[in-house]
Amino acid sequence: MIDILRLSLPITVWLAGFSAVYALQGLSCSRHWPADLDARQVLLAAYAVAIVLQLIALLAVLYAPSKARFVQTTATVLAATALGAAVWTLMPVLATSVCL
Amino acid sequence: MTLPSPASQPRGKALRLHLALARIWASDQRIRGWFTSSNNNDIGSLFLIVATSFFVIGGILAMLIRAQLATPDSAFMEPQVYNQIFTMHGTVMMFLFAIPFFEAMSMLLLPGMLGTRDMAFPRLGAYGLWVYIFGGSAVIIAMLMGLAPDGGWFMYPPLSSAAFSPGIGADVWLLGITSIEVSAIATAIEVIVTVLRYRAAGMSLSRMPIFAWYILVVSVMILTAFPPMILGSLLLEVERALNWPFFQVENGGDPLLWQHLFWLFGHPEVYIIFLPAAGMIATILPVMARTNLLGYGWVVAAAVSLAVLSFGLWVHHMFTTGIPHMGLAFFSAASTLVAVPTSVMIFSWIGTLWKGRARMGLPMLWIMGFFATFVIGGLTGVMLAVVPFNWQVHDTHFVVAHLHYVLIGGYVFPMIAAIYYFMPLLTGRTRFFKLGEVAFWLVVPSFHITFLSVHMAGLLGQRRRTWTYDADQGWTALNLVASIASFVMAIGFALTILDVAVNAFVAVRGRRNPWGAGTLEWAGAIPSPAYGFASIPIVQGRYPLHDDPDLALHIARGEGYLGDASRIRRETLIVSTARGEPLQVVVLPGNSVLPFLLAVVTSTSFLAPLFDAYIVAGLALVAVVALALVWAWGLGGRVDEGHVDAGHGAMLPLASECRDPPGWWGSVFLLLADGVHFGSLLFGYAFLWTVAPNWPPHSYLQPQLWAVIVALTGALALTAGPRLAVRAIAKGGTAWPAITLGIVGSLALAIAAASVMLDRPGPARHAYDATLWLLAGHVGLHTILSAIMLCYLAARVAAGYASPARIGEAGIVKLWADFTVATGLVALAAAWLPGAFA
Repeated sequence: MIDILRLSLPITVWLAGFSAVYALQGLSCSRHWPADLDARQVLLAAYAVAIVLQLIALLAVLYAPSKARFVQTTATVLAATALGAAVWTLMPVLATSVCL
Repeated sequence: MTLPSPASQPRGKALRLHLALARIWASDQRIRGWFTSSNNNDIGSLFLIVATSFFVIGGILAMLIRAQLATPDSAFMEPQVYNQIFTMHGTVMMFLFAIPFFEAMSMLLLPGMLGTRDMAFPRLGAYGLWVYIFGGSAVIIAMLMGLAPDGGWFMYPPLSSAAFSPGIGADVWLLGITSIEVSAIATAIEVIVTVLRYRAAGMSLSRMPIFAWYILVVSVMILTAFPPMILGSLLLEVERALNWPFFQVENGGDPLLWQHLFWLFGHPEVYIIFLPAAGMIATILPVMARTNLLGYGWVVAAAVSLAVLSFGLWVHHMFTTGIPHMGLAFFSAASTLVAVPTSVMIFSWIGTLWKGRARMGLPMLWIMGFFATFVIGGLTGVMLAVVPFNWQVHDTHFVVAHLHYVLIGGYVFPMIAAIYYFMPLLTGRTRFFKLGEVAFWLVVPSFHITFLSVHMAGLLGQRRRTWTYDADQGWTALNLVASIASFVMAIGFALTILDVAVNAFVAVRGRRNPWGAGTLEWAGAIPSPAYGFASIPIVQGRYPLHDDPDLALHIARGEGYLGDASRIRRETLIVSTARGEPLQVVVLPGNSVLPFLLAVVTSTSFLAPLFDAYIVAGLALVAVVALALVWAWGLGGRVDEGHVDAGHGAMLPLASECRDPPGWWGSVFLLLADGVHFGSLLFGYAFLWTVAPNWPPHSYLQPQLWAVIVALTGALALTAGPRLAVRAIAKGGTAWPAITLGIVGSLALAIAAASVMLDRPGPARHAYDATLWLLAGHVGLHTILSAIMLCYLAARVAAGYASPARIGEAGIVKLWADFTVATGLVALAAAWLPGAFA
């Protein structure tokens, strides 16, 4: 079961982070968002946190390896994929308008 | 662990073992067998036949659509009829054909591929089949009666709301499809537990057949993608029936919520359909190329990442709904990203072809058709991921053409390849009549002529779902060409079905493993007997038949595990998830009419509300609970058997005498789906709170101190009770005080949930009130379930079905109680916190 988690957790963390940042962006454009809070700065911080979480997931896979070589290799590829996905899919916070 | 030489075994042992196992695993005779069999061969075959029938129905509807669109200003169909036809075409193909068809293939093939004797929960498989048949038939009968839904297969409100879709058409869709989704979830749980636990000895994760990986990934996707859709259907049905305004803007609802819930399901659904077909290609193509799959690990990683990435794409179906640019850009980026794992698979298959020596049999022809078609569909998918282009072609025939390239090219063609490839295994016959090649050359070119024309018509501005068009719009020739070619394609598909049917019934008997494959499904007799394997194989590589050419003989002679039928019951092996080490012996249930009966009452509970027969629906629900209890009561035993001889010197415990029996694993995954359903409800609540125009409501619910205390006390009791019960049973002590504590806890939580409803008695006033009722309803339903389970556990303990060894059932009850507490507290917090801080 731990091996199944090794394989699935990093990329699931990407999904959670992606959804969270999207939700945060939606919230930042809503009536609930405090007027004096800079949405882009918050989103940039969330982007950074998402990437750091993926790095931690990757390092966890590398430094707590599975005994099974296949699982270890595949988990590493998936964790690296998740890191790349976080960098790429959340990159719009760097450039596009927040609420237009 | 090595097997003895075949020559050292007495002749005739294989035959005696075959006869003994055939008696033990036999289905009932004649008509009774249809309703009582739970064997994977029978259930899978029925699934396959019914799904193919729905494919034919969906195809006929497609031809009606093309007949209508063949000429401008056509009077072939009234617009009302056309609306029903295109809605039903999409619904039938997506829900009644595509998913059940690969479920059928999984049931037929997985046990063989994995080296086990049947699926993990044979009766659950039978139940899923019958629910699917009843739900699907109801939808088709409604269409024949002119009561079909007509709001498109994604049923957007407000078009599908009671105001704009009166009558029961939309209700047929919502209730019928939801019941089919229940069937899909049942099958998904069965598949997951089978792949993770029911395998040959020594079959570690790295030795699993590639199709098992794909279908494992897909099944987890079903458990996480279907619940949002089920929730959406529930919300829309409740709005239509009781006027709870989830999608009515004036009362705090928002129709965009439906789009989110639908596409949270709908986009992964595309990959749920594609990935099993990809699994088939990854299985068949290396065999046809006479080599092994190139980059097995990379393909597994690509399948997993594609599955998860597909959950981050749903908004690309909503690019024109006014979502801010940053949101669009997130989903555009994610949509382009899925091309990467898809390409990894495609290049793996091309590389496999490159390193092997391909033989161009009929399965390979269809795979070539897949490559030519799916790559185009994938590229138009990348085009649609780009927001400005998407805005231009949204809801045009370009999108229609794209999805047909992906779904027919990416699913139907590989599945036809799979049918031809596995025909010797499923029927015991080798193809003799050669209609299939003619059919292929009719289907593939005509498919491209049809849908390239449809692409062009879309680029020229033809809108989808419009029943006709004017002659001066410039689409006439394209539509005529598309329609003519589509009829040729339909003839080709009809010939394919005919070819398969004729060969399945009258072709010559074939030999085992005609393709020279290396995986276990080809190690048994053909067609596969009911017991699958005479003994559970021991494997030492990814291609066991290549590693040991005599493996089939060893298995037949009972030289694997459980090669002894003397206990006269349906036994198979459970292995450890990662390494495939033998862990337990599981006894599978025999033939029973219970799955059929349970499906009857389940379907009645879904379909009776269509006729306002709410009392009947309620009675059916009671019958569901009663039959489920009868079902569960028949499992397990009253005596500890201890460890049993599994062969090869291994003494293994029975699964029913372990802490994690298959039912525990099944519950874990069912609760995963339940948790996603609950998470979707919270998402809907948060979405309305954040986005819906007519929020906040006039007032928020103010939490009452007594209710909070009751909820916390109840949660504590429901957490502690089952734990103490497990401990008491494990020590051979008295469990009923702990069970009573748990029941009291569940009642307390239910009272707290009821207080929410009593404090906001008008769920039809505002979407906020309606959401509170649903949150409270979630808590109420789960506390009732927990209480029923605890009562059941008490009865089982009293009847002697529990012991320090037989403690698995108590563990399952604890699992459900924990889930009830966790989600119950979150639901009540979500209901109370806004009022507390307002």
